Amino acid sequence: MNTLTAKRARNLTLNVVTWLFVLVNLFPILWMVWTSIHSNEEILGGVRAMTLDHLQWGNYLQLWQTINYFGYFKNSLLICGATTILSTAFAVMAGYALARFKFPGSNLFGMSVVSTQMIPGILFLVPIYLLFWQIDKNIGLPMINTYWGMILIYTAFYTPMSIWIMRSFFVSVPRDLEESALIDGCTRFQAFRKVILPLSVPGIIATAVYVFLTAWDELMFAWVMTTTSDVQTIPVGIRLYVGQYQNRFDLLMAAAAVSTLPVLLTFFLTQKYFIRGMTAGAVKG
Amino acid sequence: MQEQPQLHHAPHPHPPVRRPTRWARLRRGWREYRFAYALVLPALVFMVAIHFFPMVQGIWMSFLKLNQFTLAQYLNAPWVGLQNYKDVLFDPGNPVRAGLGIAVRNTVLYSFAVTIGTLAVGMMGALLMNRKFPGQGFARTTLLLPWVVPSYVVGILWGFMWQKDNGVINTLLVDVLHLASDKPFWLIGSNTLWAIIIPTIWRSWPFLMVVFLAGLQTIPEELYEAAKIDGANVLRQFWHITLPLLRPIIAIQLLFQIIANVYSYNIVAMMFGNGAGYPGEWGDLLMTALVRQTFGYWAFGTGSAASFILMLFMLIVVSIWYRAFRKEMMMQ
Repeated sequence: MNTLTAKRARNLTLNVVTWLFVLVNLFPILWMVWTSIHSNEEILGGVRAMTLDHLQWGNYLQLWQTINYFGYFKNSLLICGATTILSTAFAVMAGYALARFKFPGSNLFGMSVVSTQMIPGILFLVPIYLLFWQIDKNIGLPMINTYWGMILIYTAFYTPMSIWIMRSFFVSVPRDLEESALIDGCTRFQAFRKVILPLSVPGIIATAVYVFLTAWDELMFAWVMTTTSDVQTIPVGIRLYVGQYQNRFDLLMAAAAVSTLPVLLTFFLTQKYFIRGMTAGAVKG
Repeated sequence: MQEQPQLHHAPHPHPPVRRPTRWARLRRGWREYRFAYALVLPALVFMVAIHFFPMVQGIWMSFLKLNQFTLAQYLNAPWVGLQNYKDVLFDPGNPVRAGLGIAVRNTVLYSFAVTIGTLAVGMMGALLMNRKFPGQGFARTTLLLPWVVPSYVVGILWGFMWQKDNGVINTLLVDVLHLASDKPFWLIGSNTLWAIIIPTIWRSWPFLMVVFLAGLQTIPEELYEAAKIDGANVLRQFWHITLPLLRPIIAIQLLFQIIANVYSYNIVAMMFGNGAGYPGEWGDLLMTALVRQTFGYWAFGTGSAASFILMLFMLIVVSIWYRAFRKEMMMQ
């Protein structure tokens, strides 16, 4: 009896700890939303001044009027969307090759996929910038301040990590499936397309979501490579905005909340697949 | 990663023994692996174009005098040998070098704290979520949210919350909980590093929780049952069962954490100086310092030398990591 109550007490304590943890963890996001629906006077007046009385939903409207937020938003969606499609496609192909074939050079390729992560971004930020500049000067093809320039950079950036995720996923897919397809007379490509790809949807979704989230978050290259607002993405827009409206926390928090929304939605809609696809490799190696 | 097993055995009892020529072997290899090469090709092209080639170019540039006057000469800028490296390592008067020592110190402290903190909180979260409790589904989903928040938003948001007088954190700590008598400065002075470390952990631990949780769920329950019968308490069970079995997963995440934290940029860039990204010497990190000073002084040669040194240093760190976890990596 005594041990039972002790066990119950422990369980209850752990529940309370868990819920405190959940609350503390969630608090900053709630605070962002809470701040974004108050007037700036109330916000500058401190925490106690931010009451339920005069909620100012208009911040979310004003945001689109004071800066070219719609433009930034569109640019982010276009650049990150195209990057996601390209990177994921490349990663599905290369990841499959790495998981299933041992070809001359496969070890070197696998190693370089991981090694790319060790290069500090700034080591090729300047060379790429100068390279783009030279391409424009010598061939007449503009690269800086273009969508395709950004998409090219981002695709190359997020492909290695995506290959890593896809490779781990394919390793967790049993090999016998393709072997029986091969015996049934499929070619390698048919076995890949008809047997393996349909099974890989969680992995593909996980990779795509990962790329989209990471590209959405990129600031350093976007800051240097884009200088006109018709190609600048949200992080750049927000950074410029912070410089201009440093004390308008109402608008800032609204902008922050709005730029979180697309990735939040993406994540929620795909959460089930994402976790399955992302952890398949982590667990089975 | 093994070779595809042979499906058909050679039926002939005495196959003719003839060593294929080198060329024939290559041709056979090409036909056999054509599919694999075709699959790898697009990724390879992009990686060569935007990783390998610029990196080589960056290393080349670290031997050039590349500044606002020579920039137009591109790769033909004057060759200065190891001068840039000397400037970065030994010339305290060089503008790129200014404050770099402090940035190195901060980055080391920051990377240690964030890596350990993220792994520890991630593990704690995974252990808490690995039991049944009311509201589990809701808790699991909301715990993941910080990971989805873009890091530039994390920078703005926490910068706002850390404010001294009206910031919600100081209000909670001092006015509500009475943990201190005076509201501390978070964004200036010795607390600055904490003001960067805590939001970084907040943003990165949920992903670790997901990965660890998936790992925890593969550990057979019988192991714990057996340990309980042997009288092992929870702590010993964790130490002798959970931790060893999760070692491969922890090893990989440790590596990715170290790399991400040493190269951390966004949060600091957005939290300080209204987007200027200079937190003062208390919180300046290597990446923010290098980007700011390279572009600020148009010192592209010296900046490249500094980043190449950083990369070499990371290679050492990674090889130490590899030595420590080689066995785990082999098992995979």
